[in-house]
Amino acid sequence: MQNKEKLFIEVGSYQNNKHKNIVCGDSVLLRKCTGENRNIAVLSDGLGSGVKANVLSTMTASMAMNFRVRHEPIVRTVQSIMNTLPVDSVRNISYSTFTIVDVDSNGEAKIVEYDNPPLILVRNGKVEEIKGSDTIIHRGDNNANLEERRLKLSDLKLQKEDRIIFFSDGVTQSGIGNMDMPFGWGEAVYDFIEDVLKQNPHISARELSMKIVKQAELNDILRPKDDTSCVVMYVRKPRKLLICTGPPFSETKDKYLAEIVSSYEGKKIVCGGTTSQILSRELKKEITVNIDDIVAGLPPKSEMEGIDLMTEGIITLGALVEILRQGPTTDLSGQGPAWDMLRMILDADIIDLLVGTKINVAHQDPSLPVELEIRRNVVKNIASLLENKFMKDVKMQFI
Amino acid sequence: MLNVRICVGTYCYITGGEELAKMKKNLPEDIKDKVEMIGSACLGCHDMEGVAKPPYAKVGDVLIQECTEEKLLDEIYRQLGMERK
Repeated sequence: MQNKEKLFIEVGSYQNNKHKNIVCGDSVLLRKCTGENRNIAVLSDGLGSGVKANVLSTMTASMAMNFRVRHEPIVRTVQSIMNTLPVDSVRNISYSTFTIVDVDSNGEAKIVEYDNPPLILVRNGKVEEIKGSDTIIHRGDNNANLEERRLKLSDLKLQKEDRIIFFSDGVTQSGIGNMDMPFGWGEAVYDFIEDVLKQNPHISARELSMKIVKQAELNDILRPKDDTSCVVMYVRKPRKLLICTGPPFSETKDKYLAEIVSSYEGKKIVCGGTTSQILSRELKKEITVNIDDIVAGLPPKSEMEGIDLMTEGIITLGALVEILRQGPTTDLSGQGPAWDMLRMILDADIIDLLVGTKINVAHQDPSLPVELEIRRNVVKNIASLLENKFMKDVKMQFI
Repeated sequence: MLNVRICVGTYCYITGGEELAKMKKNLPEDIKDKVEMIGSACLGCHDMEGVAKPPYAKVGDVLIQECTEEKLLDEIYRQLGMERK
């Protein structure tokens, strides 16, 4: 076992389309390689805007991501991208920008930048630009072609509470032509970031990226002149969340279940009527169920001292799966227990799923809807969605 | 106050508990102030498979199975000793 404390990296991103465009010309890809404990984020800005830009940036980002995941050398990566991208008919170049950041759990970050605004490091509330070395790459193997790319490569050792922030030029060029920023937001965005962090030093990556993009939108008076994207990677102490659902297979484990729940350090969600009853009995705490407002067709929430959220089991979890399937969303205004769960999940980094495996005999009635799936399957779905789409650290324990 | 508990556990909820829970807002005027209606995460009845059927509700200490709005109101009026209009 490694005794060095592993760093946790929260990754959050937010995007905004150019005014009146239905797709974003920037692409952001985030991936967590669980086996190797790496977090990779890629941001690409396609030439122009709209569908053409979207295709270019999606291609660039996914190629960059897949090469990076397989540890391909950067020269090969960039050459492949240059050779693959179609040549723009108007501007006669094949072009899209990208930034690749690859951070492992020791905090070693490898950064490749090409033509996006410079990536910044925020340490102790101060913005720093990173010094890197330039590498020039030619298209193809023979250097006859004059087209060349100047990349910036840098290595960084991250510490706790550091943030890496990078964005597309939609951020730095927002507000161009305004009285107070005739040449765009530019480096004033650094002051904005420092101000936000002064007010809220522990702001999550998700919120900070949203704040930056929203401010860029405001600079353009709510009509963004370009696609705007921002990615924040935040190194910090992980926030933990326990989701406990289902009675243990054997009743002798009821006490054990109650012990795990009561001693857990972090937020706690309990899903399931029987599970709630077991906890109420073992921990000697009353449950109250509020049936005054039933929203979204889901069974109402219950309340118990020491538990942050208590809901019904399988229907609510099923509704959660449906919401998670749609992937990360920016609209979190949904009502009802499933949305309450989602909001708590988004604020957590490590999610512990404690799953009781007792089969509820009453649910095996064939006249019931098929949505009443077996708990283990539903939880497995949730776990893989949280890992793949939401970059969460998920641990499962079956009892 | 007469204590009425509606089970909103999974099985009860989908077999009709939802409607029972929504009755709280529409209780008849004459019993509105005499009844305290609350939910229960689970009344713990699903081991009674084969013996009884959901949804379940409890009026005082009396368990009602296959509960409907009619059954529930009947039992409430009976225990309050009132005539149902």
